[in-house]
Amino acid sequence: MSQQQTVQTILLHFSELFLLCKVMGIYPQNWKVFQRYHDLKKSNVGVLFVIFVMLAIVVLYNLLIFSFSEEDSTLKASQSTLTFVIGIFLTYIGLIMMITDQLSAIRNQKHLGEIYDRIRKVDERLYRIGCVVNNSVLELRIRIMIALTFVCEITIMIAAYIVLLDHTKWNSLLWIFSCLPTLYNSLDKIWFSTTLYALQQRFAVINRALEDMVQVHERYKAMMAHRKRSGSNNMVKNKNVINDILFDLGHEESLKLNYLQNELRGSGLAGKLGKNRVKPVITVANSMNNFNQFQSIKKQPTKSAINIHYESELSNVSRVEDKLNDFCQLHDEICEIGKKLNELWSYSILVLMAYGFLIFTAQLYFLYCATQDQPIPSLFLSAKNALITATFLLYTAGKCVYIIYLSWRTSLESKHTGICLHKCGVVADDNNLYEIINHLSLKLLNHSVDFTACGFFSLDMETLYGVAGGITSYLIILIQFNLAAQQAKDAASSHGTNDPSQISNGADNSSEDVNDYSTALTTLMTSTASTIITASSSALN
Amino acid sequence: MCPGPLSVSMKGSKIKQSPTLQRENDEIVLDDSMGSSPKSKTFLNDITSILVILKATGLMPLYVTLTAYELGPPKILNRIYSIAIHFMVHAMTIFNMYMLFTGGSNQLFYSYRETDNINYWIEILLCIVTYTTTVVVCSKNSKAFLKILNETLKVDEEIQQQFSATIVNDCGFAVKFIILILIFQWYIVLLKILLINEPLTVTSYVIISVYSIQNALSSIFIVYSSILLRLLSVRFAYLNSIINGYTYKEQQKTRRFRTRIPTKDQATLPPPMSSFPEDSLFAFRMYNKLLRLYKSVNESCSLILVVYMGYSFYSITTTTYNLFVQITTQLEMSLNILQICFALLFSHTAMLALLSRCSGEATDQANLTSQILARVYEKSKEYQNIVDKFLTKSIKQEMQFTAYGFFVIDNSTLFKIFSAVTTYLVILIQFKQLEESKLDDSGGQTTTTTPALASTAAMNETIQ
Repeated sequence: MSQQQTVQTILLHFSELFLLCKVMGIYPQNWKVFQRYHDLKKSNVGVLFVIFVMLAIVVLYNLLIFSFSEEDSTLKASQSTLTFVIGIFLTYIGLIMMITDQLSAIRNQKHLGEIYDRIRKVDERLYRIGCVVNNSVLELRIRIMIALTFVCEITIMIAAYIVLLDHTKWNSLLWIFSCLPTLYNSLDKIWFSTTLYALQQRFAVINRALEDMVQVHERYKAMMAHRKRSGSNNMVKNKNVINDILFDLGHEESLKLNYLQNELRGSGLAGKLGKNRVKPVITVANSMNNFNQFQSIKKQPTKSAINIHYESELSNVSRVEDKLNDFCQLHDEICEIGKKLNELWSYSILVLMAYGFLIFTAQLYFLYCATQDQPIPSLFLSAKNALITATFLLYTAGKCVYIIYLSWRTSLESKHTGICLHKCGVVADDNNLYEIINHLSLKLLNHSVDFTACGFFSLDMETLYGVAGGITSYLIILIQFNLAAQQAKDAASSHGTNDPSQISNGADNSSEDVNDYSTALTTLMTSTASTIITASSSALN
Repeated sequence: MCPGPLSVSMKGSKIKQSPTLQRENDEIVLDDSMGSSPKSKTFLNDITSILVILKATGLMPLYVTLTAYELGPPKILNRIYSIAIHFMVHAMTIFNMYMLFTGGSNQLFYSYRETDNINYWIEILLCIVTYTTTVVVCSKNSKAFLKILNETLKVDEEIQQQFSATIVNDCGFAVKFIILILIFQWYIVLLKILLINEPLTVTSYVIISVYSIQNALSSIFIVYSSILLRLLSVRFAYLNSIINGYTYKEQQKTRRFRTRIPTKDQATLPPPMSSFPEDSLFAFRMYNKLLRLYKSVNESCSLILVVYMGYSFYSITTTTYNLFVQITTQLEMSLNILQICFALLFSHTAMLALLSRCSGEATDQANLTSQILARVYEKSKEYQNIVDKFLTKSIKQEMQFTAYGFFVIDNSTLFKIFSAVTTYLVILIQFKQLEESKLDDSGGQTTTTTPALASTAAMNETIQ
């Protein structure tokens, strides 16, 4: 029990975020249980509340769209059916995103508690090994992210309301609800990213512990070397001359050579003579280490007390084996937790990425349209102001990029463990230890944590680059369409004065313009349609 | 011999067979059901319906059931039957090709737009190519298919002997998908016949129905290959569950239980570590066998998969384009065409989703083995060596289900196909608009051409 008091669940630091999520109806878990035991328990009342909030927001959001759609009536009348349907989709993707988040929160409510329980167990084991994870960073991060989210949301909403909307109408107050879906999504993603960061921290702690072992051993070796140089050389004379030569070559190279010699001769002998037999070559090559140890033990009482610090764990193979095994198991467990975490949030991340891609492109395109004094749908009216657009884009992009970046970092950190493990082996330069490390690194190779969105694409920098390229090319296509439509319009109006057959065309200019606009919208939307079809077909099976 | 009731395949009564042949088959069925012991249930019992269809249409050889766990090559009479069926199929194909090229089928291409007719024509041609490839590859690889079934049965037998456990194959989806395919193809045939106003000639009927039958059979073959993959993935999963008993977490559980409650029933407990060498070596042997099976399934099916995927890619693109055209032209939105489009889209997407999901599952399960084995922690060098050997071997093992080496089939394939469809759709729509703007006003509008084409080119570059 004493250990449970020293190691507390990281959910302790989530209390503010959980309160916020609970009150706003994102997470259905039981509040009282959380307050008392810091545990996530299933709650049926919570589910009902979440569903109620979801329905209320859906109704209010629809009301908003309905009240604003009067302004678009000219736009809508001339639109074709498909473009209209696509326009609806573009309008509702924010809402779809929120609903996905809430539904997956309801679905995950049982498993989420398990994840934090597993993380606590990992923490306990880390504590027993002697690694302490600093969890207070999480709280700081949560606070900063919540503050940033609220600042961005409120700035965008209020600025759009003040600058762009008509204050006299009562229904412009409904604009408030336009920011709710994104706010909900952001809070959910803060939860996800903080947990992901906690996992990354644990990988980093393991890596640091391994690095520390390496450093301690290096210092220990340097110490021994120093003493050996300064001390009497008479004992060395008895030993093989190779030791001296190797020693002069400097640490790294001598170590490598040493190991290589061991491996080459050892394996050659092992094939012939069998394992249990003592290999003469290895004892000679290892003599430096043994000798050092021997010397240190012998001279410790005579020298100063500082030497006690330079006892390296890496020289004690049997103890180090347990520790490395523990690290390896912990690494595996954290990887498993990471996979589970990714699975729980896979759908909402997929929808978030689709949302980010679409909205980013649409907002930029409408910004272009607004600078050319062309009509834009009312839900994107923030595009009329460049500053608000910039804030909005930063906010949306920040959310997507941060999640991708964090997933990428976490999987990099998990891969780094193998490198750290091998550093241990290189520094210790012991045959037994090398065997252990080879065995463990084979295991580490099979612990994979890759973050994907439903298996469709992985969340790493390459995807980010691809998405950025996609946005750029689609934007260029859209703008080219727009330019072409504009040119066509100009040409038609200039021709209309001369050619009687073109007059009717010129009169229909406005509808043609809208048609071109709708075509551009269609072009944009076909890409999303495919995303949705893909998602639904995978859900079907 | 031909086991299983033939009535299943006659559900749609698509395959025209002489009544004498049918009776003959029924008699064989009776013989067979008496010959094979009823208690031995292999996976073949789970997939009878699809096997019967494949056998009746000549895609699978009419093998002989020697024992419960062994299948023999087909008898001469059955082989002649298969060859006859193949001849019939090829004759039908040649007839259809002749009609398509000489214009006997002009009635089918009623659409006003030239491009639509060409699209439809190409689609029928691709369907014929797909089905012909399926038949040819199947007849060429008939021995390989039989071998796959035999090997799988052998693996089952060995598992049965070692652990006295039968593997549950959840292949229930096969029947569902077959029924789905048949219903959709009938539906499409009906709609197509209703769509044409004038009285149809016999040629048109034949072409429409043969097109549907070929479509259905190619789809059924895809279902069959997904079933093979599912069978493999279930077996991989069973091996994984065996090894999973030796991982450190399960072993810790054992220790805890044994210290607390010694009389806990042993069935739920993981096996003791002492049986690890034996079990793991057995699992490795089975794993290698399954891996070989996986590769041979891939080899024997991949050409068909490539052709089918190409066909369905084309079909999905043109259908979506048709759908778009239908919705955007507000003048006459034909409900029939919309329904055909949706039915085609749905059936093709379902097939692709099924295939990619099954192959993804099998690959995942096969890759999981080494991950699970990495969780076995044991002090003893002997056990460590067993683990190390397997892990070292699995480093360079390429576990991928490819379509003839062109691309990997897994969940991301679906994503890629749909993004490619989107790209081509955008290009097609651009061309359509170009055509329309040219038709609308022949002069003064040439400026539109350049940016639209440029954008197409730019997009092509960026997507590739």
